[in-house]
Parts: sequence; C-alpha cells; structure tokens
Amino acid sequence: MKNDRQEGGLWCHEVLADLADYVDGELDDARRAQVEAHVAACDNCARFGGAYGEMVASVSRAAPDVPDQVADRLRRALDEQLG
Amino acid sequence: MSGEGQELTDETLLERVAARDRHAFDVLVARHQASLFRFVRGLCRSEADAEDSLQETFVTLWRRGTRDDAAPIEHARGYLFQVARHAAFRRGRRRAAEPATFEGERTLAQLGAEAGWGQAEVNPERYAQYRESADALARALARLREDEREVLVLRDVEGLSGDETAEALGLSRAAMKSRLHRARLRLMAELREVAP
Ligand SMILES: [Zn+2]
Repeated sequence: MKNDRQEGGLWCHEVLADLADYVDGELDDARRAQVEAHVAACDNCARFGGAYGEMVASVSRAAPDVPDQVADRLRRALDEQLG
Repeated sequence: MSGEGQELTDETLLERVAARDRHAFDVLVARHQASLFRFVRGLCRSEADAEDSLQETFVTLWRRGTRDDAAPIEHARGYLFQVARHAAFRRGRRRAAEPATFEGERTLAQLGAEAGWGQAEVNPERYAQYRESADALARALARLREDEREVLVLRDVEGLSGDETAEALGLSRAAMKSRLHRARLRLMAELREVAP
C-alpha cells in the first residue's frame, strides 16, 4: 500500500483489514481504541474509513417495497397450496 | 393483515406454525416477503422466476415447520434466505458463472487501492450523497459479481445479522465476514464510476 504508515500502534493496511469489524461494531474495546487513534492521526484512513461507513449506511436505504401484485399472487398461491 | 401477532418474534411465530397456526404463518409472510423478493429478484433472470422462488420458499417453510418429525427451525430469517437462494438457483442464474481468474483473488491492499484509498475524492461527503440515490447504488450493485452482491444485499441492504447471513449463504462466520468486506470494497470501487 502506497503511503502505508504507522499511527496509534497500527499500520494503514491493518486499519483497512479491520474496517468492516469497526463499522459493524465487532472490534473489542482495545482494538477499537487503536483504530480510532490511528484514524485521528491519518488523513487517508479518516477519509477512506468515513467513506466506507457512509456507503454501508447508504446501501441500507436502497430497499424498494414488494409490488402489490406480487404480494397478491403470493397470497393466492399460498391459499391454493396450503389450504 | 390484522395487527395480532406483529409483536411476536420470528421464533415464537415458528413455534405456532409447528402447531399449524396459519395466522402466525401469515404474519411471517407479511414480515419477510419484501426482503425475500428483493433478494431473489437479484438472483433470478426474470420477475416470474423470482415470484416462483418466493412462493416456493414460503410453501417450504410451512411444510417443514408443520412436519412432526423435523428438527425445529432455529433462525427463521437465515433459514428463509437459505431456502430462497436455493429455490432461485434451481431456476437458473441470472448470468453465466464468472470465468475462472487465474491471477487469483486480489489482496485487500489491491481492493483498497481500487476503492480509492488515499484519493482525495473518496471522502465521507461524497459517499453520504448515495443515501438519496438508490438508482446509482442499484447500478453499482448490478456490476458486482454474484457472490459479492448476495452477501452485501443480505447483510447491508436487508439488514440480516452476521450469523443469519452466514447461515443463508452456508458459510462460516469468518468466511462471510471476509467476503462482506471485500464486497463492500468492490462496491466502493464501482461507485467511483457512478455519480451520486
Ligand atoms: Zn492510515
């Protein structure tokens, strides 16, 4: 990784590897604190980590509802097949 | 759908389904039909195949749930998505399988670089704009490989837990997490080509 640097006891490539667990709240407290110390001192990881988190949050809103006709046909099919 | 039963957990509803409670079953259908339909729609070649897969999923749930000799279903959502995925695959994939790559899987550092690590234009402000831009996200999602798209759709679009996602895909939790992270980086890379 170009410009890989060590801050807060972690290298950028280690922060990159931990991003998913960070965003999903699955890091233990000590590791989480290290990631946050790194990000506070590293512009590249702050920008990239922030973008990653925003993207994950955006994706969760991209869910359209089921069309009414599909729901109606499902109900009829279930009534037929299950009695 | 009348309001009764809405507050019950999936697991409680499943216990009632085991006692052939059709109303409990209908609550499960109403609760999960939209996310299951979106999921199979992304896997199937046609809307008709997606609808058939959706119907088959719930029929399977009822038959399995009411069988006296079957082991109980522990996690309804993980189970439902697993059944839906198999139903969709039996009807044929949306695209031919990806050609084998001989260069091997890309490293995380490579994926990070392609996603724009270190580039000024990859910043939180830009990516926050996709919140209002479902079309751009859908276009970028459609450009992912199937194995990338399905883990991302289950976990991030439909909001399944890590365990449910792993169960639906038949993966260990560690394998699911690795695939999810790589898929998110791939989506970031695709979004660089799609304006918010
Ligand atoms: Zn860094």
